[in-house]
Amino acid sequence: MAQQANIGELFSMLDSSVLLVQEDITAVFKDNLNSDRGPMLVNMLVDYYLENNSQQALQILSTLQEPHDKHLLDKINEYMGKAATRLHTLSLLGHVIRRQPSWKHKLSQAPLLLSLLKCLKTDTDVVVLTTGVLVLITMLPMIPQSGKMYLHDFFGIFGRLSSWCLKNPGHVAEIYLVHLHASVYALFHRLYGMYPCNFVSFLRSHYSMKENLETFEEVVKPMMEHVRIHPELVTGSKDHELDPRRWKRLETHDVVIECAKISLDPKEASYEDSYYSVSQPVSICLQRRQIDPNASPYIETHISYGKTTLQKITVPTNVPFLESCSIRLLLQQENPSAVCGMTTPPTSPGIVSSESSQTSSQPYSKYFSTPAGGKGTPLGTPATSPPPPCISDDFVHVSLPSAAATPPKKEDKLDPGRPLLSRQQNVINSEKALEVPGSKSSVNLSDLPEFLGCLASDEDSVEKDREEDAISKEISEITTADAEPVVPRGGFDSPFYRTSESLAASQKKPLSVASSVQGHSLSSEPLASSLDKSGPEGARDTPKQAFTPIDRPCGASDESPAGNRVGQSSMETSILTPSPCKVPARRRMGFGSGQPPSYEHLFEVALPKTAYLFVSKKTEELLKKVKGNQDEDCTSSTSPMEVLDRLIQQGADAHTKELNKLPLPSKSADWTHFGGSPPSDEIHTLRNQLLLLHNQLLYERFKRQQHALRNRRLLRKVIKATALEEHNAAMKDQLKLQEKDIQSLKLSLQKEQARYHQFQEEHDNIVAQLHSQIRQLQHDREEFYNQSQELQTKLKDCRNMIANLRLELKKANNKVCHTELLLSQVSQKLSNSESVQQQMEFLNRQLLVLGEVNELYLEQLQHKHADTTKEVEMMQAAFRKELEKAKFCVQQQSQRLDAFQKRIVELESQLSKKDHLLLEQKKYLEDVKIQARGQLQAVESRYKAQKRITQAFELEILDLYGRWEKDSLSKKLDDEKTEAAEAAEERMDCSSEGFADSVAGYSEEAVGRNGETKPPSTRGSSNSKGGSSSELSTPEKSQNQRMGQFSSRWEASMLLEPSTSVPLTVGSLPSSTSFLGMKVRELFRNKSESQCDEESMTINSLSDTLKSELCKDPSMVEAKAPSSPINPSPSPMNQDCSVGQLHIMDYNETHHDHS
Amino acid sequence: MAEDSQRNFRSVYYEKVGFRGVEEKKSLEILLKDDRLDIEKLCTFSQRFPLPSMYRILVWKVLLGIIPPHHESHTLVMKYRTEQYRDVYHALQVIRFIKDSTPQVEVFLCMHQLESGRLPRNLAFPLEPEDEVFLAIAKAMEEVVEDNIDCYWLVSSFVNQLNNKYKDSLPQLPKVLEQYLNVEDNRLLAHLKACSAVSKLPYDLWFKKCFAGCLPESSLQRVWDKVISGSCKILVFVALEILLTFKMKIMALTNAEKIIQFLENIPQNNTDAIVSKAIDLWHKHCGMPVHLV
Repeated sequence: MAQQANIGELFSMLDSSVLLVQEDITAVFKDNLNSDRGPMLVNMLVDYYLENNSQQALQILSTLQEPHDKHLLDKINEYMGKAATRLHTLSLLGHVIRRQPSWKHKLSQAPLLLSLLKCLKTDTDVVVLTTGVLVLITMLPMIPQSGKMYLHDFFGIFGRLSSWCLKNPGHVAEIYLVHLHASVYALFHRLYGMYPCNFVSFLRSHYSMKENLETFEEVVKPMMEHVRIHPELVTGSKDHELDPRRWKRLETHDVVIECAKISLDPKEASYEDSYYSVSQPVSICLQRRQIDPNASPYIETHISYGKTTLQKITVPTNVPFLESCSIRLLLQQENPSAVCGMTTPPTSPGIVSSESSQTSSQPYSKYFSTPAGGKGTPLGTPATSPPPPCISDDFVHVSLPSAAATPPKKEDKLDPGRPLLSRQQNVINSEKALEVPGSKSSVNLSDLPEFLGCLASDEDSVEKDREEDAISKEISEITTADAEPVVPRGGFDSPFYRTSESLAASQKKPLSVASSVQGHSLSSEPLASSLDKSGPEGARDTPKQAFTPIDRPCGASDESPAGNRVGQSSMETSILTPSPCKVPARRRMGFGSGQPPSYEHLFEVALPKTAYLFVSKKTEELLKKVKGNQDEDCTSSTSPMEVLDRLIQQGADAHTKELNKLPLPSKSADWTHFGGSPPSDEIHTLRNQLLLLHNQLLYERFKRQQHALRNRRLLRKVIKATALEEHNAAMKDQLKLQEKDIQSLKLSLQKEQARYHQFQEEHDNIVAQLHSQIRQLQHDREEFYNQSQELQTKLKDCRNMIANLRLELKKANNKVCHTELLLSQVSQKLSNSESVQQQMEFLNRQLLVLGEVNELYLEQLQHKHADTTKEVEMMQAAFRKELEKAKFCVQQQSQRLDAFQKRIVELESQLSKKDHLLLEQKKYLEDVKIQARGQLQAVESRYKAQKRITQAFELEILDLYGRWEKDSLSKKLDDEKTEAAEAAEERMDCSSEGFADSVAGYSEEAVGRNGETKPPSTRGSSNSKGGSSSELSTPEKSQNQRMGQFSSRWEASMLLEPSTSVPLTVGSLPSSTSFLGMKVRELFRNKSESQCDEESMTINSLSDTLKSELCKDPSMVEAKAPSSPINPSPSPMNQDCSVGQLHIMDYNETHHDHS
Repeated sequence: MAEDSQRNFRSVYYEKVGFRGVEEKKSLEILLKDDRLDIEKLCTFSQRFPLPSMYRILVWKVLLGIIPPHHESHTLVMKYRTEQYRDVYHALQVIRFIKDSTPQVEVFLCMHQLESGRLPRNLAFPLEPEDEVFLAIAKAMEEVVEDNIDCYWLVSSFVNQLNNKYKDSLPQLPKVLEQYLNVEDNRLLAHLKACSAVSKLPYDLWFKKCFAGCLPESSLQRVWDKVISGSCKILVFVALEILLTFKMKIMALTNAEKIIQFLENIPQNNTDAIVSKAIDLWHKHCGMPVHLV
């Protein structure tokens, strides 16, 4: 509660007159809002604002931060529902929105928007509608993509309001409709700019209906004349233009500019299309058309009211002058403002306006001061002012109003005013003629043809307006017929007036009209530029544009004498104006107060068609100026906008107060002068109108703000571009410098190269020289070399010679030595020979002596031994013979020796030969031995074979014998069986089959039984003995020997046998029956015959015969074999027999061993 | 060696390339040209190379000592031999051991028996094992040699050589065979052992009869070349090679009797190859006899 009370106090203090308190309170509120999140404070603020219309509250509310937006919007929405507070709420909303709070995107979701739309659809109050529409228009670019869901609501609103404009169902005052129309027009622009396809389709569908056709013809169609074809209509689609992507890139001001771009209306269009100069008149026409003739009285009255009020506020001065001055200023101010708005973006609207107002005053003060200074010409007076010709050009405008406005010469001026005007027009024309060909710096001039073309295309509408113009002119003339300021009408705005008149008369003058209009705008431009130039914070770009039109006239100083003349004449007239010392003050005050009278007269009369425009503009400008003045008084810190708002409110308040003070009859007389509405309505109407105006103003300001934003961005780009250009230039300079460097370097390089070449050449020369020297030296060297060679050869020759000489010397020495030797030898020989000679001599002497001796001896001998010589001779001869004999003998001996030696050699060779032969023989012998051995082996084997054969034969024979004996024995046994069959025989039978049998057979008869047994035993023993002995003694005896032994043994056995068997043989012959027996008997007979001689012989012979028989007659042998006692039974198998057989076996075995 | 120049100089390479016996005949002729033939050289030659058939009988006779090394006495010795043969033959005829119709082999047997003094009492006497060996060898030799006398002499000399020279080494051969079989193919040996066929192998046929009746004569004579020239080990390798050649069949047979029966009647178609391989194997294991020529 305490807090609430506190807040209540604060609220009361909020609108305190003390500025510091206000600020403190505002700060407190803001702190509170920052700390408190509740809706209470916001609600209370809203309530407070709605109650008291407090600016501070409004400011706080419009700067609300994020968390409070919902409360605010809720609160506004709440109040929006109530019809009473709707208007205030809307204006609050407008304020808030124009601030572009950070939460503006939430607007589309807020219920507030819905209620706003509902309000716009249903409400019938024009003021509310207009305000709402303006709010909506302001809001639209902020919520471009989220607002699309309400698109049809927007269109519906547009349809409703557009038809409202025409039909006026609420029957509200026309003046409201004008506002409404303007706002609808703005809405049209916005909708068309933002959603062209949807909007056009809506228009198509909506106005295709018959009941809407009239609305279309009257309201919408003229609107459409001021827009171009939106490019989206060609490239886009309904869906595409609603695409969020399209809006994402665009900021609010971008959207606004986008909308302005498609507009042909100078109020809406962006400067980028440079249509403003064209569209200005058109918009004027439009405005003019909207303003009905009936509306003019209201304006007039309104202006008059304004004048009175202002007069009250400001110090009264020379009104007409100020009037003219202010109007002119206004006119010029207006144009510059347009120009400035397009070309030079002010940093902020408020500041710019104040500045422009301030700066605009300064040049005028200068202009005025110069004439006030009493100088005939203004040349050189202003420090920063352009050269005289241009000043004079400007002065044309300045002087004209001044001349026209001078109260004392009102009547006189009327006449000179006309010529002046005409002259001025000439001047303007000439000026234009001058400007058109030459100027290129002026944007306006370059755009002129375009503008003209557009103008021509707009003729239709213009024409339509002209009719109305004519009517309004008549009316104005009527109204100003008794009024004083008829003159200024022609004086000031004569070009317009004239053109309109001439246009009405003939349609061939539009060009001139346009040119005149242009001329105005052009002529006004220099002023504006000069204003801006002198301004302390004039934008950079402005001087360029501002100076150019001034410079150009400078070059063409003697452009038109008429202009100069006019200027001078106007100077003269202006000299007549109040004293210069008065001027600043008057002017200062006049800015604030001097407007209303001129308003009344000038606009009422001269420009009834552009009344609305000028009214709005002028009020704004003037209010600004007033505010500026006021600001000068109090504090310069408050913004002009605030001042303006305050001023309007104050003005409104003052107006109501004044109105109350005034007597009603006068008022009514005033109002009813033109047959207007009743006065009670008038006040309300006026108030509302003011409100509407304010709204409009705020809306326009908002737009300008957007423009400013955009301009700032563009400026940045320009700055960047210039910076880049400068950078470029710098780079170029650098490049040039570098190129220069390169050039110089190249030059030095060339120099260096030249030097180098020179050096090279020198070097080459030197080298060549040196080479030649070298060559020469080499040549010399070779020569020397050759010489040395020659010398060397010579040296060699010499040496050779020396060697030869030496050799010769040696030889000579040798010779000398040799000769010396020889000499010595010779000398020796000589000495020898001498000695020999001596000896010889000696010997000769001796010989002689000896010879003598010999002779002596010979004599002696001869004398003595004469007979012995014979003996000696004989002996000698004998000796000689003996010697010869010996010699011969020796010779013989040696010869023999030789012979013997030869013989020895021969014999030795023979011996070796023999040895060799012996060896060979030995070898051969060996060979032969081997051969013989081989043969012998063969023979031996043959012999062996033979022996085997013999053995085989013997075996066979024995076998046969055995068999035969057996046969015979068996026969005998058979014979003797009858006589006696004895056991002995059986025993014999069983005991023997072989030899024993046969032996038994032999000894059968002779010995009997006892004798029978004996012989075998003895025989066996002998046999065994012999066998053993033979075995022991001669096991390796030769065959013959063995045979011999055998035979001898056999003989022995036979010898033994006969001893025992002789009787046997005698008496026991084999049985004569058998053939063998006979044979044997025969044999034995022979034996027995010869037995006496020698038994052994017989036996031997027997064996021989046996043998021979064996060879000759095998059959006989066979027959005999069994009987043969020699034949052993070879069968080794019959060992089971008797002892005799065993013996035989023994023998056999021994024999076998032998073999 | 004066004869060396006459020899083909390519002879060295023939052997390397694999042609055998190109130069052998010539070298043999050279050998045979010598008066007083060099028995040693002939032995070596015979061991090393197969003998040309035209000289085979002569070489055999020489090697077996039927004819002496001297050419001069050849005719004389052969005359003796012939006479001896006739005598023996006549004697046998006389003692009625043989008739005209008696087969030659038996004639040879009787003659041999007679000569060795082992002539039975009569013909009905049962044959002894050595007589059977003789008969088999004689039968084989009869195919090789045309002349009866030569044949008889060769047979009897061959048998005598077997009985005398190889008396000690022949009983060792089964062991040697086992040893080499272990080296060459122990699996086969294991199989044979498993079948207990090792001891029952036809050693009589192989080693006593020297494959007479087991191999065809064309192959047999090559084996006998080696045997006559003094190496009885070749018999082992022939037996080994037979086992190796018929390894698969032997492995297939598990019964000792069947194995023996098969080995006693081996197929006669590729015996030449077997013999060649056996000789190679023999050379491999016992080394090449020094080439004396």
